[in-house]
Amino acid sequence: MLLKVIPMNSLERYMSVVKSGTPDIVPRIPIVMQYAAEYIGSNYGAFASDYKALVEANCRCAKDFGFDQLSAISDPYRETEGFGGKVRYVTDGVPRCTNPMETTKDMAVLLSPNPQVSTRMLDRINAIREYKKLCGEEYSIMGWVEGPAAEAADLRGVMNFLMDTIEDTDFVCRLMDRCVDVGVEFAAAQIDAGADTIGIGDAIASQLSPQFYESFIQPREHTLVKSIQEMGAIVRLHICGNITHLLPGIAGLGVDILDVDHMVDMVRVRRVVGNNVVISGNIDPVAGVRNGTASSIWEYVKKTYVSVGNPYMVNAGCEIPAKTPEENLKALCTPIPFIKA
Amino acid sequence: MDNILERLTTCIERGKINKAFPFPAEMKGGDGAEELCIMALAQGIPPEEILNKAMIPGMSRIGEKYSQGKVFVPEMLISAKAMSAAMKHLKPFFTSGAIKRRGVFVIGTVLGDLHDIGKNIVAMSVEGAGWEIVDLGVDVGSEKFMEAIAQHPECVVGMSALLSTTMVNMETIVRNIKTKYPDKTILVGGAPLSADFCSHIGASFYSPNPQGAVEFLNKIINPEIL
Repeated sequence: MLLKVIPMNSLERYMSVVKSGTPDIVPRIPIVMQYAAEYIGSNYGAFASDYKALVEANCRCAKDFGFDQLSAISDPYRETEGFGGKVRYVTDGVPRCTNPMETTKDMAVLLSPNPQVSTRMLDRINAIREYKKLCGEEYSIMGWVEGPAAEAADLRGVMNFLMDTIEDTDFVCRLMDRCVDVGVEFAAAQIDAGADTIGIGDAIASQLSPQFYESFIQPREHTLVKSIQEMGAIVRLHICGNITHLLPGIAGLGVDILDVDHMVDMVRVRRVVGNNVVISGNIDPVAGVRNGTASSIWEYVKKTYVSVGNPYMVNAGCEIPAKTPEENLKALCTPIPFIKA
Repeated sequence: MDNILERLTTCIERGKINKAFPFPAEMKGGDGAEELCIMALAQGIPPEEILNKAMIPGMSRIGEKYSQGKVFVPEMLISAKAMSAAMKHLKPFFTSGAIKRRGVFVIGTVLGDLHDIGKNIVAMSVEGAGWEIVDLGVDVGSEKFMEAIAQHPECVVGMSALLSTTMVNMETIVRNIKTKYPDKTILVGGAPLSADFCSHIGASFYSPNPQGAVEFLNKIINPEIL
């Protein structure tokens, strides 16, 4: 049934859904990086290396398209740089980063990341401070940390990490523990700076067996999630790819918001994670959003909302690709009235 | 003879690389793919028979399990490594012509994308099926693909992308290749892709897993299969 509700600003709308309230419309939380950079006439390299470009790009997109959340995500290598990875920025692509432990399992080679000192971690904190200063009362502000598996893979290199999961589980666990410690510290600094939400990205987890995930990764993600929530922030988990086989483990994490990629059955996700988790997604970013039409996007999103039910937020399955037509992103963010069950 | 080939198949399927490799636990201390390949050659088993009756079936078995969601990327990776450990002892026979390559497979991860895991597993699986691999690496643009095609005119091309933001670069690369080589067979793969996307960009075939790529390639060289 449709309710007559008082219009809300983005922050109120977002918080309303997270707290099981009644928003005016369904919140919209797309992830934009290269798209946002190019939208303001900048480039990905500037977006990833300078918080001012990232903030301007996200604020402009939020205002022009109707996003309800400002994000500090740019690439996976903020913590890795703090650990000693060497970053090289690329004008139109994801930054390149070395893997500090590519040739060794000796964790002594890692530096100790300090969010207030490590260049790229501090840059993210500065982005959040800037968001807070510019529009902290109007929009939700999302900080970002890498999940334990993702960060361990960035430190070792993906191939090494995957081999480690079979050859040397003890080492993988110790490395992920270190990553969780740094993730908690980085999240705390971002919350202090003004983030109300912390996104956790742990994409590589989707490539591992449910047994490995539940035995070794999920408990560490759980520690990260609980630590962030105890600091008063909302947790949004983003694992790109097919997470169907991980859903039982994910259901036990207690995250507030779960991003779901396009290849996953949303109804199944709701059934497994229950009604206390906000589900966001999951239109195909390329086939659906970039290559779709305004009407096909709008119809897909409405259909998804109806099938998933509350609590729900509008989002694509993953990042909005560069060169997406503006009218398509506007269609994705066209307000959908909240439907009270 | 059959026993040693079957054992080699099992080692590849289970990812038992060599004797020193401790995985899987129940095979610890036993001969691995490398030792069994050496033994098979020493017993006078023709190299082509080792390839066709032991190694290809091993990769095929693990590939099917992966397709069915029974195993995941690390298990595929470890099997591919076991296959590579055995394959290194067959390399001289490819060079001498005792074993004929089934074709040349040029593969790379597309421009802007640095992920190599999917590309590597497909490359190792296809190599295990008897193809010569020309691995162009990651972040590969049209020019590099075109150069490789010019050097290997009869090749089949494979492209990988793991990001929704980089898969769109496939479209440009495929278009450029097809402009100059309209009949070139191009396989695409990667987590965010789909058959619809493959069709949309004009590529020849999409496979959601390495085994599908191998089966498609087998079909090309032997159309009565499948």
